[in-house]
Amino acid sequence: MIEVQQLSKRYFDREVVRSVSFFVPEGEVLGFLGPNGAGKTTTMRMICAYLPPTSGTVKVAGVDLAEDPLGVRARIGYLPENVALYPEMRVEEFLRFRAAIEGVSRKDVPERLAYVLERCMLTDVRRQLIGTLSKGYRQRVGLAAALIHKPPVLILDEPTVGLDPRQIVKIRELIVELGRDHTVILSTHILPEVEQICQRVLIIDDGRIVADGTPDALRTGFSGLSAVTVELEAADLGAEELLARIAGVEKVERLAAGRFQLAVRDGKSVRREVFRLAVERNWLLTELTQSVPSLEDVFLRLTTREETLPEAEEVQHG
Amino acid sequence: MGKLWAIVKRELIAYFSSPLAYVVLTAFLFVNGFVFWLIVAYLNDPRTRAMAPLRLLFGGTMYFWLLLLFVVPVITMRLLAEERRTGTLELLLTAPVTEGQVVLGKFLAAWLFYLFLWLPTLAYVAILASYATIDPGPVAAGYLGIALLGLLFASVGVFTSSLAKNQIVAAIFAFAALVVVFSVGLVENLVTNPALKNALSYMNLWDHMDDFAKGLVDTRRLVYPVSVAGLFLFLSMKALETVKGR
Repeated sequence: MIEVQQLSKRYFDREVVRSVSFFVPEGEVLGFLGPNGAGKTTTMRMICAYLPPTSGTVKVAGVDLAEDPLGVRARIGYLPENVALYPEMRVEEFLRFRAAIEGVSRKDVPERLAYVLERCMLTDVRRQLIGTLSKGYRQRVGLAAALIHKPPVLILDEPTVGLDPRQIVKIRELIVELGRDHTVILSTHILPEVEQICQRVLIIDDGRIVADGTPDALRTGFSGLSAVTVELEAADLGAEELLARIAGVEKVERLAAGRFQLAVRDGKSVRREVFRLAVERNWLLTELTQSVPSLEDVFLRLTTREETLPEAEEVQHG
Repeated sequence: MGKLWAIVKRELIAYFSSPLAYVVLTAFLFVNGFVFWLIVAYLNDPRTRAMAPLRLLFGGTMYFWLLLLFVVPVITMRLLAEERRTGTLELLLTAPVTEGQVVLGKFLAAWLFYLFLWLPTLAYVAILASYATIDPGPVAAGYLGIALLGLLFASVGVFTSSLAKNQIVAAIFAFAALVVVFSVGLVENLVTNPALKNALSYMNLWDHMDDFAKGLVDTRRLVYPVSVAGLFLFLSMKALETVKGR
């Protein structure tokens, strides 16, 4: 459905996207993952025929971007990052405007309008000014606008950013539903989101694709480090250093007082050693768990320059 | 065509749902009303030479130009600058519409709003007509001149709005550019070289309005504003293609 070949974007001497190629078959929900500034938004904007690529080709539903950019736009429903809408328009008024510029024929407008209002749960606010809506509602208006012309492809740039947890759950459910009859590209840096919604993940860093596969395949194939969480009571001050000395432990992070996370090389179980150390030093061991490598680990490993686990706060917020 | 009209309509909705439209409308009517009163009072003085009052109202005084030089940038400043600042431009230009359609749609909306500003001045014509007989020819030609001037001024405003991200900056640039566009033709009175004088007379907007207000419809007075508007709209389109996404 979407065919991207050697797509590059250069601003003067800065290469933002470097020869990116991928294919998205019909009906797939693809997660686009990467740190801020990795080139996700630029790539999406090029696919949507907003920014002209420096080189490379894009085909959406059989239409070549270089030959027919408006044809490509007509086949994509796009939800930009930080959806900006016209605050002075009413929801229904705005959606009618979108329908008109998307080329929806006049006789189809009432039906499409009813469909998107219902689908995005906007029927109650159809007469409200967009400027008075909450961020969650505005996001849904953006999504409704992206759906109004029945596009086969949906491109969503960080659709859940800035929403409260309840709104995030609703939008995710909606995206999963939409994924049943649309081909979707979704960019995000929230990892659980990818695992919940996407069948396939592309990890992009510094303008390049660094990984491509299902979330499961990525987890098992790429992760080098796993994590062991240790909680100690009555531990002395040297605990952190002693834990770090255990063979196989790459790094120790202090999560809270007496709570540590150990980064461990593949396959090595250090729990035995930790337990032994606790007995020896008379510490009270209240937690000792080894976690399965998460997509987060994979992501961080692939997108961090040095091969170390990054700072604690980054791990926490993903 | 449907898409272009959709853009024009949306822009008109934006005009009339913002307080700015009403402020501009009020100020415009206030100043024009004052000027009209001034002209009538002036012509009522027995010592002044008899003259058609509408000829003075349509470009015959400095007030006309001062007002337009201020009002048009205020009308056009928002058009593209605001879309870029808020990011709505991205949504607009990922719909199957061209930069040209966006520029033209916004320009037409601004022009229609400008014409709307002039609509209440028909009351002056009605007032004058109730006291004296009025020759409809020069009046119609005067309005035509105003409409053409609107094309030229609005296109300059659209262009500066396509370059700036900030509305106020767009307005100030438009004002500066319009002062230049307006003054260039007046240099005609200062030069003696006949070729240059001829060229400058072509751009003399004061004479442009004066001719129309006298009822003189000359094709070159039609061609100049239309072609300059075309040029600025083309430049706006190119500017939009370059600046989007930044």
